[in-house]
Formats: sequence, C-alpha cells, structure tokens
Amino acid sequence: MSEAALIGLFVATVQFGTLVFLAALGELIAERAGVLNLGVEGMMAMGAVSGFMVGLETGSPWAAFFAAAAVGALVGGLHALVSVVLGADQVVSGLALTIGGLGLAAYVGRNVVGERPETLFTDLGIAGLADIPWIGEIFFDQPPVVYLTVLLGLAVWFVLARTRLGLAVRAAGESAPTTDTAGHSVMALRSGAVMVGGAFAGAAGSFLSLYMAPGWVEGMVAGRGWIAVALVIFGAWRPGRLALGALLFGFTLALQPRLQSFDIELLGVEVNRISPALLGILPFVLTVAVLVIISWRYRHRPSPAPAALGLPYRREER
Amino acid sequence: MIRPVLARRERVLPAVQAFAFLVGIVAALALGLILLWTSGHNPAEVYERMFDSAFMGTDSLSRTLERATPLALTGLSVAVAGSMGLWNIGAEGQMMAGAIVATGVAMMADGLSGPLLIALMIVAGIAGGMVLMLGPALARSHLRVSEIITTLMLVYVAIRVVEWLETGPWKDPDSFGFAVIEPVPEQAALPGLFGRANIGMLIALGLLIVFWLAVSRTAWGYELRLAGSSPDTARYAGVSLRRKILTALLLSGGIAGLAGAVQLTGSAARLDSGLSNGYGFAGIIVAALALMRPSGVAVVAFVFGAVQVGGQSIQTLGVSSAISDILQGMILFGALVAAVLFNYRIRWIGPAVESSGDEPEEPEEPEPAEDAA
Repeated sequence: MSEAALIGLFVATVQFGTLVFLAALGELIAERAGVLNLGVEGMMAMGAVSGFMVGLETGSPWAAFFAAAAVGALVGGLHALVSVVLGADQVVSGLALTIGGLGLAAYVGRNVVGERPETLFTDLGIAGLADIPWIGEIFFDQPPVVYLTVLLGLAVWFVLARTRLGLAVRAAGESAPTTDTAGHSVMALRSGAVMVGGAFAGAAGSFLSLYMAPGWVEGMVAGRGWIAVALVIFGAWRPGRLALGALLFGFTLALQPRLQSFDIELLGVEVNRISPALLGILPFVLTVAVLVIISWRYRHRPSPAPAALGLPYRREER
Repeated sequence: MIRPVLARRERVLPAVQAFAFLVGIVAALALGLILLWTSGHNPAEVYERMFDSAFMGTDSLSRTLERATPLALTGLSVAVAGSMGLWNIGAEGQMMAGAIVATGVAMMADGLSGPLLIALMIVAGIAGGMVLMLGPALARSHLRVSEIITTLMLVYVAIRVVEWLETGPWKDPDSFGFAVIEPVPEQAALPGLFGRANIGMLIALGLLIVFWLAVSRTAWGYELRLAGSSPDTARYAGVSLRRKILTALLLSGGIAGLAGAVQLTGSAARLDSGLSNGYGFAGIIVAALALMRPSGVAVVAFVFGAVQVGGQSIQTLGVSSAISDILQGMILFGALVAAVLFNYRIRWIGPAVESSGDEPEEPEEPEPAEDAA
C-alpha cells in the first residue's frame, strides 16, 4: 500500500468523521435537552437536497450550507412541535420525520439528479501548516466545513458545560419539573435544542452533497444519519468522546471503499478479493458491536443517558 | 366560579385513533395537493387516477391487496414488539433475511412438490428473520442495548448480503451476464386467489387473527402487555422480563422473515435487493397508526396498500412515485397531531378545591425501550 493511498485514507477519515460528528453533535444537543430525535437521517437528506439545489442556483457553497442548516432547523421544528409542544411519542414522531423526510427529499430533488454545481467547497490550505508532510495534508488542507465543525464542537462543549443556558438545557434533559420550577421554560429549551440539532444535521447533509459526493441521488445519506444517532450513545452524551467516536467511524467509512485496492491479507483472506458489497456491511456491524461493548461496560452502572431522555413533559393544569 | 380547563387523557382510545387516522389522511392529501399544484400537475386528475387504480374493479382491488399483504405482515411484526414497548425498526432487513434463507432452501430442495416446498420456504423465512433478530434481541434483553439502532443497522447488512449473493455465489449462470439470482422453482409460486392477490393474503389475515387473540385474550398476551406498560409490576408478578423481551423480539423478527418468504413466493419470483421495497419501513408507520393492535394493522395496511398502488399508477402521468412515500409519512404525522389534540377533554374545576374530585388519571406509560444502552 502506497504512502499516497495511506494519506488519502486519513484525509477521508477526517472528512467522514466531520460528516458524522456534525450530525451527531446536533443529536447530542437535542438528547441532552431530553428529546430523542430519530429523524436525523431524514433531516440530513433534506439538508443534502436543499443545500445542493441552493448551491446550483447561487453557486455559493456557503449560501447552500446555511440554507441546508435552515431547512434542517425547520424539519427539526416539526419534530419539536409534535413531540415537545404537543407531547406525542418521540420515537414515532422521529421515525415519521425520517420516512417522510426521505420521501420529500426524493420528490424535491427529482429534477436535479445528475447535475453538478459550478462551485463546491474547496480545500483550505492553511498557510505554513499545510506543507508539513503527512500532518499538513491530513489536518490542514481540508474544506472549511471541517474547521467550522471543530469550532462548533468546542462551542457546544463550552455552552453545555460552562454557561447558564447550557445548565438549563441539561437540566431539561435530566428533570423537566425541576427545570420548570427553577423558572425556565422546558418547552422553549427543548424546542430550541431540537431545532439547533436539526440545523446541524441539515448542514451535515449539505457537506455530503456539496463536497464529499457532489450531487444528489435518492438514498445518498445511506444510513449515516443512523450512525450519528448511535454515535451519541458511543460518546456517552459528551462532545469530547463524541469526537473520538466520530474519528473511529470516519475511519471505518473511509476504509470500506478503499479496502478493495489494498493488497493485504487478513486471517488468510486476501482483502482485495472480498466483494465490495460485503465490505459495505463494515460500518454497520461496527456500530452494533460498539453499542454492545458500551452497554457491557455499563452493565452494572447507571446508563450515562440523560435521565429524562424520551419522556414528554407536560405542565400539570392548574 | 367554575371554569373550564383542558385536560388530557394519557392513553389514546381506539375510536379517537380511528378518527385521527382519517384526519391524517385528509391532512396528507391536502399537503400532497399543494405539492402537486406547485409542481404543475392537476391534483384532481392525479388523485382520481390514484383512487381508480387502487379501488375500481377487481383487478385494482387485487393489486391493493397484493401490496397490503407484506404491509400487514411487517406491520404485525412491528406491532408484536410494540405491544411491549419495543421498536423493531429493522423489519425491512429481517424480510430480506427471510427471503435469503427461503431462496437457499428452494435451491437445495427444488425437486420437492409445490405445497411441501412452499411450506419449507415459509419455515425457512421465519427462521431467517429470527436469526437476523437474534443479536439485537439478546443485546436488548441482557444488556439493554437499544433495539432501535441495532435492528436498523442490520437492515443495511441484509441488503448488502443480497447484493453480494447476486454478484457472486448465487449469480444465475443463465442470466447472460446480468447479476441476478435464479428465479424460485415454478411449483413454489403461492396459489393465486383473484387478479394479483394470492394465498399470502390469507396467511397474513390468519396471522393477524391469531395474534389478536394471543395478545388480547391469553395470559401470555396479558403478561406481554404488562411487561411493556409496567415492568416493575410484571417482575413482581413473576414475569421474566428478559424472556418476554426475547420472545417478543424474536417473534417480531420471525413474522418479518415470513413476510419475506411470502413476498418471494407470492409476488417477487426471485430474490433481489429490491424485494423488501420499503415494506419493512412502511410497516413501522402501519403499526404506529394501528396503536400496535392487530385489528388496526389490517385496516391501515389496506389503506397503505392503496396509497402505494396509487403512487405507482400516477407515474404514467409524469408524477414521481415519491409522492406516495410523502403521503404515508404525512398520514402518520397528521394522525399523531390529531390524536394528541383529540385527546384533550374539557374539565370543569372550581376555585377552592382545585384538584379534588378529579377522575383518577391513567398512569403514564413507562417505556422499557427508552433506557437504551
């Protein structure tokens, strides 16, 4: 395996990692506020298609990125309306979001399949650093979304851990009545968290359609939204661990299409003779395995999940 | 002074849900109308075509029933897990697993007579679905791993395995280079009833009745529901939660696997990566709309069968069939909102004794599926 191929693998690891980290970060915000949103896959698809279409129209990847975030927030807002404001089952509402969102994305994007926008995100060679061998190419010559995502990760960590707003959000996820008593609106906190989470997922979708796999085809999110949901569990609801998990999953997602070209032997099997379809199951099997291992580690301890996750809150009538 | 206050029931009553379902359909059609209008189609023409192709005449009706069959089975699959608060999101994959194992059996035993081969393939289908569910079920019952994510992940695994079988080991040598698996033997086709409807429909109907009886009329079913609604009470009553979770999930997987075998022998003729065709995912909506009740599954599956047949038919008008996916998702959203809204009732309360004299609120339902990971 050549040096270039190896560097390519790590470059792609960072990009795939960014993709799932951005979406998972959004889910983390919602879940810390106590709302499970299984609609990530649908929100990403909506973000991917709307971002792509805005990119086609305007030629500006940033306009596309923020439009996708806005669409994601809007779709997340639907989940907030149904499950937070009206108090319907979060699982059902989230699944409806995924199924409906995938359908709507397919419908909206039916006429732009196969098109390519003129301008996409371009790699941002950071002066001086990008020239360092290996490290430079892997970390300092990436599209701007990668750096923005790192900043967002830090910001989310800071807000959740160090600010009053973050404390209120976390409180809403641990005990809604207490939060209410303390004078915060649980509904506003949770709805806000879900919409911000939706914006992150939508933005992640546009990173997919405007950089990683430029274009739009139905089903292009291909389960990455679900991996993001699993990542939040892997990250034990903490941004730092989430980042580590994202790199691990990013590595697997990056490795899978490349394994074909590697001339290596694993357990007596030549890897490049394994069918690509079989290699394609890797990220999904890894997700299941990782979830099992995590749960094994927590089998005698309380789960690190927010205590009120998934429970609707309704103020008693007075 | 006595003043009115909006109070809400915790549980949705079936009659309320039936009405909510209707509202959901109307809301979805209204949204569809806007979508069609804005993209330059004539909504009246499109909806008329959908209605005609799904309901008018025996042939149309048989197509609707043909589609309703896998929807009823996957809906039942999700509902069986759902009756104890578990979510099988992976019926799509278990359906594929069932079809894979059934195809394997057909390849090995293609000399058998029709009825025997079909029976074997159906058993194989059930086994296939159960095998794919085994991991998630054990992880859920013993380690509290969220079955939502694990079952879903295995959908991608099952579909990739079919793609692999198509291109490699099971590739039909007589396919002139196309990556397809050879069709199941002729005698393995399920006998037809009328038009495109086949015996599979009766299998689904029979199974729905069996589960309706089992869940609502037997001690086993009572324990299942109890384990879902109040795990502590169930444990106190000596019900093994682990075993209940395992049984419910494995049954759920088995039924989805059966759906795969029925689809294979009934409509598909050969295993390919499009066999499950979204039925497993639609089954989640079906079960949710049916409030996890088998009787409701039958009704919703029929309506969704019609929506899907209608969605196919409008492609000749140049309308994307994605419309039918949107309609299905919107029906669920609309019904969800409607059910919540209808569930409020007006309660009159006096000023002094504010909360006395209340009817006892039904207890909130704790969901065991929520304490994932």
